[in-house]
Amino acid sequence: MKIGIPRALLYYYYYPLWKTFFETLGCEVIISGKTTIDLLDKGIKASVSDICVPIKILNGHVLELLESDVDYIFLPRMMSIRKGEFFCPKFMGLPDMVRHSLPGAKDKILFPNISSLSDDISDDKLYYDMGQRLGVTDKNIKESLKEGRKVWNEFRRFSKEDYTALEAMDYVLEGKLPEKQVEDINITIGLMGYVYDVYDDLVSMGIVDRLRKMGVKVITFEMMDEVMLDRELDSMKKRLFWTFSNKLLAAGYKFLKDESIDGIIHVTAFGCGPDSLIGKLMEIDSEKLGKPFMTIRVDEHTGENHLQTRIEAFVDMIYRKKSKYIKEA
Amino acid sequence: MKVSFPYMGTTVIYKKLLELLGHEVIEPPEPTQRTIDLGVKYSPEFACFPLKVVLGSYIEALEIGAETLVTSGGHGPCRAGFYGETHKKILENMGYDVDIIVFDGYKRDIMGTIKKVLRVKNGKPWRTVWKAIKTVYAMAKALDGIEKRIGQMRAYEIHRGDCTKAWQKIKKSFDDVKTIEDVERIEKESHILLDEIALRDVPDSDRLRIGIVGEIYVVMEQSINLRIEETLGSLGAEVERSQYISEWIDFNLKPGASAKEHELYILKKGEKYIQEIIGGHAKQTVGHIVDYAERGFDGVVHLMPFACLPELVSQSIIPTISKDYNIPVITLPIDEQTGAANVLTRLEAFMDLIRNNKKTKTA
Repeated sequence: MKIGIPRALLYYYYYPLWKTFFETLGCEVIISGKTTIDLLDKGIKASVSDICVPIKILNGHVLELLESDVDYIFLPRMMSIRKGEFFCPKFMGLPDMVRHSLPGAKDKILFPNISSLSDDISDDKLYYDMGQRLGVTDKNIKESLKEGRKVWNEFRRFSKEDYTALEAMDYVLEGKLPEKQVEDINITIGLMGYVYDVYDDLVSMGIVDRLRKMGVKVITFEMMDEVMLDRELDSMKKRLFWTFSNKLLAAGYKFLKDESIDGIIHVTAFGCGPDSLIGKLMEIDSEKLGKPFMTIRVDEHTGENHLQTRIEAFVDMIYRKKSKYIKEA
Repeated sequence: MKVSFPYMGTTVIYKKLLELLGHEVIEPPEPTQRTIDLGVKYSPEFACFPLKVVLGSYIEALEIGAETLVTSGGHGPCRAGFYGETHKKILENMGYDVDIIVFDGYKRDIMGTIKKVLRVKNGKPWRTVWKAIKTVYAMAKALDGIEKRIGQMRAYEIHRGDCTKAWQKIKKSFDDVKTIEDVERIEKESHILLDEIALRDVPDSDRLRIGIVGEIYVVMEQSINLRIEETLGSLGAEVERSQYISEWIDFNLKPGASAKEHELYILKKGEKYIQEIIGGHAKQTVGHIVDYAERGFDGVVHLMPFACLPELVSQSIIPTISKDYNIPVITLPIDEQTGAANVLTRLEAFMDLIRNNKKTKTA
C-alpha cells in the first residue's frame, strides 16, 4: 500500500516518526517533492485567496500526491499536544478543508485525531481507528509506533545539538552527518519561525544557510529543550492557545534574556494569525530590553534580493555594534 | 470606578447590567472611521479586524474618562480569546493607566474569576445581582425578538428608514429599564410602535429571505459591517442573523442543557463538513448555512474579518455546501480597507441572482 505524506507543515517536525511508522507497517511511503513555484501556483489556485502561504503550499503538495498513484494521503488532524492548548484553527480544520475543497481528496485522506499531552504523539490509541481503515491489527500499530518513537526521539535529541531539523532528519533517516560550518562564527542570531516556514526553501529562501554563510550561528526553537522553553512562559498571566506559537514566543523571550544571543529575526508568513500577536509582544519587549529584533514577512511574492539585503543589513548592524562595544571596553 | 466595555451590537444590554450593579458607566461611542483609524494605528498590522476596532473603541472610551474596562476572554483556539491580554499590553505601552477585567472560562482560574466577580459585583447584595442579571437577560431576549422582527419588516417598509428609526427609538427607551416589569412594558410598547409602520403587501411566493452567518463581531456590529442588514433590507430581502446576543448567553453562560439545545442542533448540522469545534464560529457558520438551506432561505451572506483563522476554514468548505444544498452563498471579508461601494455592488449583483433564481424556480 502506498501512503503519501505531503512535504509541508508538520512534516518538518514529525516526518521521522511517521515515515518509520508506516514503513514498519509495511506500507510504501511516497513523499511529495520539494516546494516549487509551479506547485505553489497550483496550491494558490485551489485555496481561498486570504489564507496563509503554508496552507496554500500544503494544498499544492496534496494535489501533487493526488496526481500520483498513492492509495491514501496521511494528513492528521492536529488538535493538541499540551493540556489546555491547541493548534491554530487551520490545523484543526485541515482535513475538513482538504476533503471538501480539493477535488478527488474526499476518500483518500487518513486523518487520525492527534490529541496528546506532550510533543511525543506516538500514543498507539490515537492511531487504532486509522489502523482499521488500513486493515492492520492494533498490535501491528503498537509495534510500528514503537519503532517510530525511537527514531523520532533520536531526531529530537540530535536537533538539540544545534542542528537544523533538516540536518537532523538526514542524520536519523539516512545516516548522513551534517557538514561543519566552515565560516568563522562571529555572532549568534536567534531565529523565530515555524518549522514549515524556516525549512521550506521557497518560503524562507534558505535563510539558515544564508545566515551561516555570513558567519552567523543560528539557533531555532526546536534546538532548545522543551521543558526549559515551557518554564520561560511561567511569567505570562495567560499563555497563548497554540503550542507551537508558545514555543516560538518562549524561544523569543529566552533570546531576549540570553547574553550570548546578539539579535533576533522573526520569519513569518503573510496572514499568519498567531504570529501577528507574537510579533507585537516581541516588538514591545525587545525595545524594552534593547535587543535588535527584525521581522521578515514572506509570502508568494517575496523577492530574493529583498531578503538578502535585509539580512545583510541586520547582520552588519549587529557586527558593528559588537565590535564597537569590544573596542570601547 | 468609571467602567466601560467593548462596543458590540446592542450595547444597551451591557450598559444596563453594569448600571444596575451601581457602576458609573461610560458608554463607548459607536465605532466610526476615527475609531477604526485609531485601532489600526496601534494594533499589530495583521491582527484581525475586531481586535483593531475594539482597541479603537477602548481608546475612545478612555478619552472620555473610562478607568476600568470589562470584557469577556475566551479559551481559544482563535485569537479572540487573547484580545484582553493584547489590548492591555498595547494600552499600557501607549501610556494609559487602565484596568482591564477579563472574564475567562472560570475553569481556567477559579479564584481569579471569583475575585473578578466580586469586583464587578461592587459590594451589592447577591439578591440585587441576581435581579440585575434576570432583568438584563429578559432585556436581551426582548431586544433580540424585536430586532428579528425588524429584520423581516425592513424589506417591505413603504417609507425607507422607518424601521431603522423605530429601532433607534426602541433602544433608547430600553435605557430607562430598572426592573423586569419595565422590560415587559417597553417590549409591548415597542411592538405597538412597529405595528404602526406602513408595509407593502407581498405575497409569500415573492418573499426573499437571506441568512447572515459568520464571525460574531462582524455579524453583530452594524457600524463596521456596512449596516448589512439595512442594506439587504433596502434591496428587498428579509434578513436573519446567525448570532444574537441572547443566544450567545444561552449557549455560553446559562446553566442547564435545555438552553444549549438550539446551538447544539446547529453544531450537529455542521458535523458533516467540520467535525470538530475549531474555534471561533466556523462550525456554527457551516451548520447555519445548512440550516438556512433546509429552511428554504434564498441565499446566505457570509461575513468574516480579513484573515480570520476559523472562518477561512469555513470559507474553503462553503463552495461544496453551496453545491450540495443548491443555495447561493457570498463571502465578504471585512477590514479597514473594505469599500462601501464595492460591497454594495456585489450585494446588488447577489440579490439579482437570487431573484432570478427564484423566478426560474417558480416558473
